[in-house]
Amino acid sequence: MKKRQMYFRMITASLMRRRSRMLVALLSIAIGATVLSGLVTIYYDVPRQMGAQFRNYGANMIFTAKDEKFTLADVQQGVSLIDADAVVGVAPYRYENVRIHESPVVVAGTDINGAQKTSPYWHIEGEWPSADGQILVGASLAENFRLRIGETLEVSYTPSEAQEGQETILDNILEFEITGILDTGGSEEDYLYISLADLEALTEESGSIDIAELSISGGADELSAYADTISNSVSAVNARLVKRVTASETTVLSKLQALVLLVTVVVLALTMICVATTMTAVVTERRKEIGLRKAIGASDSSIIKEFLGESMLLGGLGGILGSVLGFVFAQQVSIHVFSSTISFMPALVPITILVSILVTGLSSLMPIRSATEVDPALVLKGE
Amino acid sequence: MFFRMIKGTLLRQWKKMLMIAFTIALGASLAAAMLSVMFDVGDKVNQELKTYGANITVVPKASSVLNELYEVEGGESTGAYLREDELGKIKTIFWAFNIVDYAPFVNVSGELDDGSEVRVVGSWFNHHMSLPTGEELDAGIAGLRSWWEIESGEWLDEQADENAEIAMIGTALAKKLNLSVGNTLHVKGSAGDKNFRIVGIFDAGGEEDDQIFAPLNPVQALANLDGCIDSIEVSALTTPDNELAERAAKDPSSLTVSQYEIWYCTAYASSICYQIQEVITDSVASPVRQVADSEGAILEKTQLLMILITILSLIGAALGICNLVTASVMERSSEIGLMKAIGAQNGAISGLVLTEIFITAIFGGLIGFFAGFGFAQIIGHTVFGSSIAMTPVVIPIVAILVILVTLAGSIPAIRMLLRLRPAEVLHGGH
Repeated sequence: MKKRQMYFRMITASLMRRRSRMLVALLSIAIGATVLSGLVTIYYDVPRQMGAQFRNYGANMIFTAKDEKFTLADVQQGVSLIDADAVVGVAPYRYENVRIHESPVVVAGTDINGAQKTSPYWHIEGEWPSADGQILVGASLAENFRLRIGETLEVSYTPSEAQEGQETILDNILEFEITGILDTGGSEEDYLYISLADLEALTEESGSIDIAELSISGGADELSAYADTISNSVSAVNARLVKRVTASETTVLSKLQALVLLVTVVVLALTMICVATTMTAVVTERRKEIGLRKAIGASDSSIIKEFLGESMLLGGLGGILGSVLGFVFAQQVSIHVFSSTISFMPALVPITILVSILVTGLSSLMPIRSATEVDPALVLKGE
Repeated sequence: MFFRMIKGTLLRQWKKMLMIAFTIALGASLAAAMLSVMFDVGDKVNQELKTYGANITVVPKASSVLNELYEVEGGESTGAYLREDELGKIKTIFWAFNIVDYAPFVNVSGELDDGSEVRVVGSWFNHHMSLPTGEELDAGIAGLRSWWEIESGEWLDEQADENAEIAMIGTALAKKLNLSVGNTLHVKGSAGDKNFRIVGIFDAGGEEDDQIFAPLNPVQALANLDGCIDSIEVSALTTPDNELAERAAKDPSSLTVSQYEIWYCTAYASSICYQIQEVITDSVASPVRQVADSEGAILEKTQLLMILITILSLIGAALGICNLVTASVMERSSEIGLMKAIGAQNGAISGLVLTEIFITAIFGGLIGFFAGFGFAQIIGHTVFGSSIAMTPVVIPIVAILVILVTLAGSIPAIRMLLRLRPAEVLHGGH
């Protein structure tokens, strides 16, 4: 017990006496450990964060009807089979042919909030419809029919059958307020968008939808597993992947992850070597001390133990400091780049500390060895 | 004498100096590698994002809207077309180099033998072009539809004979008609009929699975549309939009002359669209927001991520070098004490030590720079399968970094040593 106390006192005293030099060494170890824990955290977090960015491309799964039509309840049943955290947005669509200014156009009824999430790339001049009786007009339609935001648009729908008690088929006519004009560069510009409730009021038919768009975060394998489960267990729905989005996302995302991995490996290797050279320099500096100890009768093993203990203590401290700083760094990167926070990875703390202890220990072992092998008289003389 | 002393130090203490050079080389290589990758990552990721297909579509001015709408009603198209003979001009615009791939499309509705209607799409598959600039390019949907999975057969090769009546069909259509590769499919159009030999069946995961894709000429012949195309899809490398680009996209005439020049000479999606409209008669080119906007977002994020990682590694490299230089100068306290004792001036000592360190630093920095460039190439080849372009600005950045860090590491240490009294240092006390 006494011996161990003495051992610790010697180590701490040595660290305290040479405070400024040791602080420098500690700093370099801490930087190494920061790079280690920070980059590894980012590496693990990049697919998730980047995956969220890739959801900008919009829906990656669509539900279509196995038979004629399906209902919102079927969609909900399908969505419930997917991990709730992975679902970014769901938008059901129902298309009908209607007329505006006596010309035929297609109107889509949807869940406006859901559409905002599944199609983040939609560029709206004006505002998204937020209440019933409001309509979103595709840019080409707006140009053709000279429609402007704030105007009222009359939409008429011809039911397929005459209502009871009436002989001729009468048009259903509803008025909508134009809140926004939709610019996508795609075929969406040729449609009108209203809420599903409005469309049901216009057509006086409810319940069914034509298609549902889903935006789900996850890899291609995960997605196709979801699609299979849904197609098999929901009888009315056929779930399909939007290949263009899923296939491309897999390619690009895997490249990005490989990039971060390689960068991490290169940076880590170089930083660790830097730490090692610093430790080597710190120990080499003290050859004289080692010589003195040998001269007054210390055994080689006790010198190695003491010096090794010292560097490893330093490594441990640097590791702890580095895990904290690394997390702070990763968090800052995440906030600045992706505007979201990252979760703390507890497993990384012991790994970081262990690696720093190993690197410092190994890198000081060599110079200690060579110092102890030399004749103390020569070392003390300064050769 | 000065040089002999330096030479003496470098030769006598070569082991120590080698270690300093090694550390500086490591730091410099880290800086060079990260900076090279950082400057080039935008272009590289942009190339990768091309797998999402076209980010610009070109349609005739007399709006294609009605075309699509009438087709919903089951009718024919409206009669506004782009000209096939102008297609080559797209590769002559200011940003021609940024246009990676493009393909024209002509849509014809045909009738099958069983009376059902089918959409026949004429396009380029691997259309070979020899440009006036001497560039050779294979353009077409083989590149623009990279997500198509070929279920059987292979990609249509139109280079052999562009009038050949061959086609690729979607998997849904193939299943419905029970067709396989090698079969022929008889399609009747409004102005003629053709027998397409099926060379490939693809799974596109969308509405294209119900369509027939064939080279332009036979499809145009189906509906007597020689030389006419409905739309062009263009895949271009673009710069993410900023406020200027958005304003310009709405109305280029609202810009001042200098703003207009900046806009026109930057590869924004909107300026490329504008330039395409200038060369293709009566056309409207517009960015496909789904692709263009997402590309911008992902590019920006990736670049920012790389910048932050680069900064971290630069700080790490700088501190590493700084540490070691300080340590090595401090080590020489007795030598410096001796010089002072025999009458050396402070300035002379500082000059000597600094020159030694700088010779080492230049040596290490040079080796490190080339090693770092090598690391960057490894990263480029492993991840993107292409080499990382050498950005000239990396050289001065690395050089300044090495010089600054070496100075920052050695000056405080030298000043501290100069303050020491020679007798104490030589005696060995602290």
